[in-house]
Amino acid sequence: MVKVEIINGPIDFFPLNDNRDQDGAEIVFNGRVRAAEYDKIITALEYEQYEDMAESELKKVAKKTVKKFAIHDLFCKHRIGKVKVGQSSLHVVIRSKHRKEGFIAMNYFISTLKDQVPIWKWAILEDGTKIPSDCTSS
Amino acid sequence: MIKIKIKCFSQVKYALGKKELVLELESGTTTQEVEKLIRKKANRNLDIVSLSVAVNKKYISKSLVLNDGDEVAFIPPVQGG
Repeated sequence: MVKVEIINGPIDFFPLNDNRDQDGAEIVFNGRVRAAEYDKIITALEYEQYEDMAESELKKVAKKTVKKFAIHDLFCKHRIGKVKVGQSSLHVVIRSKHRKEGFIAMNYFISTLKDQVPIWKWAILEDGTKIPSDCTSS
Repeated sequence: MIKIKIKCFSQVKYALGKKELVLELESGTTTQEVEKLIRKKANRNLDIVSLSVAVNKKYISKSLVLNDGDEVAFIPPVQGG
């Protein structure tokens, strides 16, 4: 099953599921905002999306990942708007029979998301200035 | 003539100082021609930025002839996560 959501506000994490008796692995990834973007100290990132297209591309990437790897569930929440340093901007849960395919699928999903989903970061500097983030790395 | 909407994000928004533009163009204008126009408007600030193109919120891989009412976005490298 695939669930994706783009939200403007704190992430309400997906609950862990103890009833999935066919899945031996439940992998959770939380992407958090670092205090620096390359050499700049920041107080927050502001995530901008191309409305509708971002969620649609995110869903495509999630469906492609579930099809490509032996995993059962991929749930993802991505924040937009202002996210303070230390807060989570991305939350992903993958459930699979074994851990190996789950970890590979997680890596593939996040890498592909970073390559295709039209979401961008603006760095909020200590003086309040807002500039497009330089960070396009994996 | 056709009228199209350009949506601007990240470096494109920063370079043009606008989140949206409406352009009136000759019929038969292509996305490639509009990209050249946008890069020119940005006064060289987009010269080293690679741009993907979306028409009506779908990525396209080759230049297309635009239609009246189309929404076009020149998408700088994305940064989700």
